[in-house]
Amino acid sequence: MIEYRIDRRSGVATYVQIVQQTKQALRLGLLEPGDKLPTAREVVEATAINPNTVLKAYRELEREGLVEARRGLGTFVRRGLNTAPADSPLRAELDAWAVRAREAGLDRDDVDALFTSVLDTHFKGDPS
Amino acid sequence: MTAVTLETTAAADRRRGPRGLLWATLRVHRSALWFWVMLMAVGAGVLLWAYGPGADAAWAEYRSRGCLDGRPSLGCDMGGPAAERYQSATALAGGLIGLVPFLAAAWAGAALVGRELESGTARLAWTQSVSPARWLAAKLAVPAALLVAGMAVLTLLHRLVWTSDSSLRTTIGAADWHQSPAYEANGTLATAYALLGLAVGALAGLLARRALPALGTAVLALGALMIVVGDLRPHLWPVRTLTGDEYPEWTGMVVDDGALTSTGARVSDPICVDDARCLAEHDIVGYYRDFHPASHFWPLQLVETGIVLALAALAVLVSFRLLNRRTARAV
Amino acid sequence: MTETAIEAAGLGMRFGRRGKPALDGCAFRIPAGGVCAVVGPNGAGKSTLLSLAAGLTRPTAGALTVLGRSPAEVRARVGYVAQDKPLYPQLTVAETLRWGRELNPGRWDDKVAERTVAEGDLDPEGKIRTLSGGQRTRVALALALGKRPELLLLDEPMADLDPLARHQLTGTLMADAAEHGTTVVMSSHVVAELEGSCDHLLLLGAGRVRLAGPLDDLLAAHRLVTGRADASLDPHTVVEARTTGRGLTALIRPEGPRDPAWQETVPTLEELVLAHLRAPQAPVLRLDDVQEAAV
Repeated sequence: MIEYRIDRRSGVATYVQIVQQTKQALRLGLLEPGDKLPTAREVVEATAINPNTVLKAYRELEREGLVEARRGLGTFVRRGLNTAPADSPLRAELDAWAVRAREAGLDRDDVDALFTSVLDTHFKGDPS
Repeated sequence: MTAVTLETTAAADRRRGPRGLLWATLRVHRSALWFWVMLMAVGAGVLLWAYGPGADAAWAEYRSRGCLDGRPSLGCDMGGPAAERYQSATALAGGLIGLVPFLAAAWAGAALVGRELESGTARLAWTQSVSPARWLAAKLAVPAALLVAGMAVLTLLHRLVWTSDSSLRTTIGAADWHQSPAYEANGTLATAYALLGLAVGALAGLLARRALPALGTAVLALGALMIVVGDLRPHLWPVRTLTGDEYPEWTGMVVDDGALTSTGARVSDPICVDDARCLAEHDIVGYYRDFHPASHFWPLQLVETGIVLALAALAVLVSFRLLNRRTARAV
Repeated sequence: MTETAIEAAGLGMRFGRRGKPALDGCAFRIPAGGVCAVVGPNGAGKSTLLSLAAGLTRPTAGALTVLGRSPAEVRARVGYVAQDKPLYPQLTVAETLRWGRELNPGRWDDKVAERTVAEGDLDPEGKIRTLSGGQRTRVALALALGKRPELLLLDEPMADLDPLARHQLTGTLMADAAEHGTTVVMSSHVVAELEGSCDHLLLLGAGRVRLAGPLDDLLAAHRLVTGRADASLDPHTVVEARTTGRGLTALIRPEGPRDPAWQETVPTLEELVLAHLRAPQAPVLRLDDVQEAAV
């Protein structure tokens, strides 16, 4: 079961944080098709956020076809996100690249800035 | 089937004992309830003691001194330790009964209403499924019922002691029928004043909205009302009048006395005693005395009880109107 | 159109004959099914408003309907927790819940009340007078939730609570709203504690409505802009503008296209509220009109 962590100071809308964290869990394989998402009650009890925010996030995920609500049962994952699983070749390459960057004397912020700028170049205009 | 049985037992279980506002009122004021039960037990105990062993001992003492043998001595007027104990007991019981209205006023002002408004618990009750009017009704009805029940027991016991020991009382020179607190404690007045105390206390609580000021206001207001009604007491029933050459004998509750002139006019006694010139000068031919005989006890009691209960009802009415004006009411 | 939890028209409340009115000509509508924050500085009239809605006092002007009826008619359907959390100190926790059950016949839900208390790890046999502030709040909340209200009115529910208790109790509250669809209206002068949990806002200032509407719509209707001090803010409605040196920071309600040279962001709840509190003369904005909501 996924646990959401809400950062009120991030400036990112709360429902977007839930959507992003769910997708992240799907990418990392922490959530798989058939898994049940926590109920709105469980989420708001742990995070003290507005129930409508959770419902809005779940509707958004449903709209994207990632999850489906089954009446009286809960919300279930329909499909995973087809990105590299944790042991894929792409991840191994990135892993090796990070080692080299560190050896070259780059610190975390440098790597972060470099990575973001490359992402911006290649994925400009894509929906997040 | 098992589930059904269990459910019904659970439901039956919950129905045992008082419920709803009655339970809530009794539980919230449980210490006051215990205090009242204790007070009743003490009052009833003292009266029963006076009725039985107390009176017996006083008589035995009187007899042992030979006062019944027609050889009166000074000791017979004084009363021994047993007679004193008997007198203290009846005085204590009478005082206790006389105190109840003030206790009721103080408690109703402070604990029953004032503190609830001060601490906000009254608002807590009004935001359950209970309207302020129903809340106040329970606050008044439950203590009123307990006051009436308790005072009925004490009054009956007091009368029992009073009527059975009347010869002992006259022998040792205790209070007359019209003297407080025996007058109130022997009839309906003690209960009526207790109810007035409750009503005045509740009204004071609603007005002051704080416990201590309400307590003071309630006790003072009740005291003032008692003085006013007490002043009216002799005039609540037509008096009987005795006239004569000499002052008529003291009897019962004296309302007025004085001298009579030859025209029959009532004048204040110039206190000539036997001075004939003085009497002639003032034209005094006789004396009169207005009084209530013991047979006026019940008419006087009942009229005063009616007045006191009317005052209590007025206080209750004002309380409800005040509460309704302040809080939202269903249309 | 959603149903209405509370609706006020020309609502006024004056204590005593002379004093300044606590509420003055308030008109607003709070929809059912959400969590509404009633925000304002101390003395803005928040408590007065909630106690009117709870049927504890009577307005001196105007009308107030709760769940479509007069407040006194819906006493059984409305829960209320006062700011100072009054409870009977001489009762135990369990007796306090029994008290709630006895005074709410036909509505009371033991499970909800007991769960709320149990989540706080409270001893049911403990006397109320021995409880801490957070524990008292929890019992008061259990009492209000136990009657299964359709509308829950909370006056400064989280004041005097430590951050953990605050988070836990908000969680309990939101869970109940999620499970039973309870409408929650809570007042606060601490805006931070409302962020994330509320979806509707009613901002009061000096007894009057300043902002009212769905929180997202209210935020979207404002922009926080920074630019050069000599820039003109016309034709936008300016809530508050502050110049520092050559720079200008302003909270505006955009009316049409903006100068592309400005940097602009959507304000946070806190920025929106603070700007309005600092600028008492800013025009009222109501996005909760029945007509507008229907469009």
